[in-house]
Amino acid sequence: MRLLVVDDSNIIRSRIARIALYSELSHLKIVGLARNGREAIDICWRHSPDLVTMDLTMPHMDGIDCIERLIDLDATLNILVISALNDKATAIEALKRGARGFLHKPFTDEQLVEALLEIMR
Amino acid sequence: MAGINETELKVFIDSVTHYFSHLTQESAEVRSAYLNNASIPQLDYTGLISITGQYRGCVYFTTTERCLRKLLRSMRESDLREENLLDAVGEIANTIAGNARRHFGNTLLISVPQTMRGAVDKIGVVVRARPYSIMLSWAGHDAVVIVDIELDS
Repeated sequence: MRLLVVDDSNIIRSRIARIALYSELSHLKIVGLARNGREAIDICWRHSPDLVTMDLTMPHMDGIDCIERLIDLDATLNILVISALNDKATAIEALKRGARGFLHKPFTDEQLVEALLEIMR
Repeated sequence: MAGINETELKVFIDSVTHYFSHLTQESAEVRSAYLNNASIPQLDYTGLISITGQYRGCVYFTTTERCLRKLLRSMRESDLREENLLDAVGEIANTIAGNARRHFGNTLLISVPQTMRGAVDKIGVVVRARPYSIMLSWAGHDAVVIVDIELDS
């Protein structure tokens, strides 16, 4: 399975990639690290990921808009939102747009692995 | 500033203490939280979030370089260049402000973080007089959260 990581924070992108590489998710192939929604769409066109981790608060194109655009491209895409925005309305909106799960920041390594395994089932 | 009450201030205290205890399993100790009538503190690195929507103002997190280096190491991040220290302080500010939406709801809109190194004059322009200051220690390192928000009338 191909994984795309979308977050405007370099340390969060690196951390998610590191956790994926050195955990029971090591079978995932990381096809891109995107800093915003625009880069995410570009990478999706070129690499067709199966799985995406998506931040919400980002410059240029935020995560909510990006989820909708990515689902338009591929309705089967598994998107896990990873965001500090922990109000219920935002989580519901993300799920309505097509995300499969929502993980709040800050998160532990174990929580990320569990959340990704859950949405891949 | 009469923008937020004690309960709402506690939302930010809980948010910052949760950040450190959850991510690093090492608790942060809140030394004091008070209405600050003196100079606005700025340590080595600062991440600032602008607040709009039903509220206005800003939230910022400021700490020392050593604190950020220790935090990044605890996340097994080996690249400790300045770019990542700025990134880390911005991400902490973003998480503290974003987590506060559990209480304030989605009408509290938060910006992407602006990050700064050292004391920057701009802070004095952005932060109004008498914000709340939350002074804390984590792993022996000092940090401060400044909360300056009020309902937008």
